[in-house]
Amino acid sequence: MIDQFKNYLKEKIAITDEQFESISSELKVKKFDKSEIIQYTGDKLKHGFFVCKGLLRAYSVDAKGKEHILQFAPENWLISDRNNMNNEPSVFFIDAIEATEVVLMPNDFMQQAAMRVPCLQPLQINLLNNSIRFMQKRINMLLSATAEERYLDFIKLYPNLTLRVPQWMIASYLGITPESLSRVRKELAHKHFRP
Amino acid sequence: MVGDGFRVHTFFPGGYDINMSPFFLMDYGSKINFSARKDPRGVGIHPHRGFETVTIAYHGAIAHHDSAGNCGTIYPGDVQWMTAASGILHKEYHETQYSLTGGPFQMVQLWINLPAKDKLGKPKYQAVKQSEMVSVDLPDEGGKIEIIAGNYQGIKGNANTFSPINVYNARLNKGGKAHFSFPENFNTGFMVIEGAIKINGSEKADVNHFIYFENTGTEIEIEALENTVVLVLNGEPINEPIAHYGPFLMNTEAEIQQAISDYNQGKFGYLDE
Repeated sequence: MIDQFKNYLKEKIAITDEQFESISSELKVKKFDKSEIIQYTGDKLKHGFFVCKGLLRAYSVDAKGKEHILQFAPENWLISDRNNMNNEPSVFFIDAIEATEVVLMPNDFMQQAAMRVPCLQPLQINLLNNSIRFMQKRINMLLSATAEERYLDFIKLYPNLTLRVPQWMIASYLGITPESLSRVRKELAHKHFRP
Repeated sequence: MVGDGFRVHTFFPGGYDINMSPFFLMDYGSKINFSARKDPRGVGIHPHRGFETVTIAYHGAIAHHDSAGNCGTIYPGDVQWMTAASGILHKEYHETQYSLTGGPFQMVQLWINLPAKDKLGKPKYQAVKQSEMVSVDLPDEGGKIEIIAGNYQGIKGNANTFSPINVYNARLNKGGKAHFSFPENFNTGFMVIEGAIKINGSEKADVNHFIYFENTGTEIEIEALENTVVLVLNGEPINEPIAHYGPFLMNTEAEIQQAISDYNQGKFGYLDE
């Protein structure tokens, strides 16, 4: 599993096996069962997650018990609650939608590793930028995009999740009702289906 | 479980590393009792592309709907032969009346690969009812061979196939014997649905066992040690590359990505919940 994380880094930067070796002792691997909750709100976790295999999601539960999904993390995605970085309690739950294998990354891992392996510095900034970009886009879509635009963006970002998660979870992520999602898919089928 | 209605064991490709091409997958639901329930158990809307699903019911009843507008019920002895080909959405549930009473449930679902040239053909659907099933009676009141597809002793079954395939339900009385003659390069497997058999006079196979034959001969004889039902699978291998993801069975990774994209964009049509 650690190798998958190494390959992930190698695709992005020129890190040697020796350099990776020098930082990988900080990493641990873990397996979670399907439906296992791996972070509760209020937890102060000392690590984030890199998904090797399987699927995690971060979500909140409102006063009425309704779940709101912030992020899905399939293979090669990173997921964490940034509050934990400042030693603040988590505001999200994270659970495993499928049986999942992860690399646990200590909260200061990238910072520490970048000091030892300089080529990690630009990557660290890049990852942070991407994460902010992702969130900016997400906020903008939720504020201004139609249900169809949100769905089309979703299938571009997460192409195979439509086969891996129930409709209500996609609707929850998109901030629309399952009925609206159904309507969007029906309209797309009317546009594109050629029997 | 597939959905909440089908407790199945994937004999291949998950369970055993065997080459049963053109049969890509066999989910076997051994006989269990489902309790009565108002809301039928089942598996919700899902797509398929690039192959055929063949559902064979032995106990219980399965209702199905698909995006091509087909629907029906598969009762014990019936077979639903669905050619997903270029793409179809379907859902499968316990039939309402069966769900209300509950009771024994036993079924097989096969995924049969399609040759590359037929993978993007028009979806179609063949319902083979037991009442219309072509069969051959065995000598000495040994029972009968129901021919679902292909042919037995020159008699052709109802379902049309895209490559040479033989699928039978051999329903044998205790002591009944059946003889099969298949080309040596065809892949062959027997699933003992009920009872027990002796194969070629020596090996015994009990209920819920799958017998996989090596490609080293052409003649097979079985003898029923009690009243027996055996699902016979035989076919010419499709020697083409395989790319598999979830409900799609194609030849290349690019075709899989295309299938996912087409499904997401509604090109498989629409089916109401």
